[in-house]
Formats: sequence, C-alpha cells, structure tokens
Amino acid sequence: MSNLTRLFLATLSGLVLAAGVHIAIIFAAPSFAENDAFNRLQETLTEDQAQLISPAGGEKTWLPLPDPATAVAACAFDLSDGPVRVTAKPGQDFLSFSFHTKTRGVFFAVTDRAAIRGELELVVMTPRQLDEARAAEDENDPSRDVRIVAPQEQGYIVVRVAAPRPSQRVQAEEAAKAVTCTIDEDEAS
Amino acid sequence: MTARPIPTAALILYALVLALGLGVGSAYAVLNGTPPFGSRRLGPWQAWPKLGSADADPYMRAIVARRGDVPLAIGEGLALTALVDKDGRKLSSACSYRIGRSTPAARWWTLTVYDEAGRPSPSELGRSGFTSSEVVRDADNMFTIALSRSLSPGNWLQLPASGPFTVVLRLYDIPGAAGLNLNADDLPTIERGECSA
Repeated sequence: MSNLTRLFLATLSGLVLAAGVHIAIIFAAPSFAENDAFNRLQETLTEDQAQLISPAGGEKTWLPLPDPATAVAACAFDLSDGPVRVTAKPGQDFLSFSFHTKTRGVFFAVTDRAAIRGELELVVMTPRQLDEARAAEDENDPSRDVRIVAPQEQGYIVVRVAAPRPSQRVQAEEAAKAVTCTIDEDEAS
Repeated sequence: MTARPIPTAALILYALVLALGLGVGSAYAVLNGTPPFGSRRLGPWQAWPKLGSADADPYMRAIVARRGDVPLAIGEGLALTALVDKDGRKLSSACSYRIGRSTPAARWWTLTVYDEAGRPSPSELGRSGFTSSEVVRDADNMFTIALSRSLSPGNWLQLPASGPFTVVLRLYDIPGAAGLNLNADDLPTIERGECSA
C-alpha cells in the first residue's frame, strides 16, 4: 500500500472513531454532569418539604432563564427507601408538578386542575413497589392513591406556583414550600 | 526511489488523536448550544416541545443536564424563545421593539426579557416581564408590549444596557398536546422600531 492510501485509511478510521467518541460522550453526559438539577438537589433528599430553588422574581437561583412570575420548589427522591408521597394544596392560582428522573428526563406532569377537593396527592413508586402495593390491597377497600411508576429509582419532583402579580409572590413561595414529599411507610412495609 | 513508508505506529497514533480531538470537540460544541434536533420554528419563536417529555432525545437530555435546567414538562406548558425579530434580525438592546398583539390559548402566560447571561433584566421599576394578568389590553382585548432602553408609555419593558437579549414566552397549561397545533399566526410578532448606535 502506498503512503497515501495508508494515510487515507488512518484518517477514515479516525473519523469513524470520532463519531463513536461523540456518541459515547452525549449518552454519558447526563450521568456525569455535576451541575445538573439532580445533583444540586441532593440535600433535599432528607427533607420532608420541597425546598425553594427559584423564588418568584427570578433572582437568587441557579436555574437558567428563571421565570420571575413563578416560584419553583423541588425535592429529590430515592425510591430504594420506599415510595414517595407528594401532596400540595393548590390555591386559586396555577400550580404544577413535574416528575423527573435522574438522567432520563421528565416522566410525568400534572397541574392543579387534577386536584381533588382542593388537594393534589400522588405516590411515586417503582414497578416492583406498585406490584407489592396491589398485592397488599384489600379488594373491598381499594386504595384511592394516584400511583405513578417511575422509570428510574432516583429523581426529583418540581413544583411551580404562579405569581401573576408581584403582590402574589410571597404567597406563591409559601405555597411552593408547603409541598410535602415524604417516604410512604405504609406501602413500603 | 520510493518514499519511506510511514511507521504504522504513527498512523495509529494519528487516528486516535483525530478521534479524540474531533469527538470531544464536537460533543463539547453541541452541549454548549441548543438541542440540534426536534425544534419548531414559529416566526421569530423557537421551541423544543419534546424537551420536557419522556421522548427527549439524547442531545436534549445531555444539554439539559449540562445547563442544570429544569424544562417545562408537556402538560405544564411550553416555553418559546426568541433571539431574532420577525425579519430574522438579531435582537439588540440598541433598538426598540414592539411585541403583540395576541397569544395562543393558554391558562396564563408570561413574557420575560433576559440579558446576554440569561438573567432577567429588571427595569428601574423592578419589572422584567409581563404576565397575562398584568398586561394592559386595548378595546379589542389585544396588547402591545414596548421594549426599549428608555421609558415609553403603555406596557413597557426596559432592555439591558447593551448587547443582545432574549425574549421567552411561556404558555402555561395549554390545551392539546404540548401546543403541537400551534401556528406562527397565533403567536405575537416582534417588530423592530428605531435603532440607536
């Protein structure tokens, strides 16, 4: 083989390998990211209440492009300790929940329109915990829990509360902080 | 006389350096930008409807993780970003703009101006955006928001002192599947007015 052919082959294999490296980095990026939302929310794992991550007004937050007209709170969860129960009492204004996995994005979202008698309550569980909960259920008295199956054990829940006017900001922040995320002992047993 | 053959080891090293350099470089460049696929352009507005869904592609997931972002989920709403005006010119604080006059159906919406670094840019009156409940409407229930550096009457947002800026329109709780049936005609237009040096 001439030098030119050899150089061409080397370049070609370099390009093919480069595509492989590119794909590998893109796929691995969410798992290795250090400043992603999940890592920043680590300290909320042990909290029973959602922690404010972006107060209304859009200042003092690590969220990129924060909406100043919403208060955003979040809590991380780890389902290996048992299912997580989230509750909120929405008021007049818009409130929404979104459920995120650690690396695979959003898996569920719901707004206050789904609230029953002024309360929004959901249980996040793994497929296995769902099976256990179903098996343990009394047929004559079925559970009324709204159950959501998470595709990954670790993740975080984000709550957004609207503050359409600046005067509603404090109220929205209070509503966001009042959201509870607790490990469900009953269903874990 | 024929040329001396290039050592095989050198060629392998060359291929590896090429692979690492191009692979890492291209991944880094993509991660610092906007998601390359799955965007919808509606006039000056751009949205990634799948960003907040389980169908987000690997680029979207990687970019969201790198930004440390929490995107609006499908079901919560849709964020539309504008970096250009209706004629495709980059938004610049040296110019004045008018945004109006209606938005698609949504339970409520917010329109916010961000400076180059992505921070809300509050005016001297502490305002960096309008919400659907704050904006003042005319007799036809339409609105116009004026964007400029100096005070102007009506719905006014102050632009940052200099540099490019971004406008984000967030439609919360929209009917239908994540606004897939949105039309450019339903969205507000961004018209450029006078520019100063």
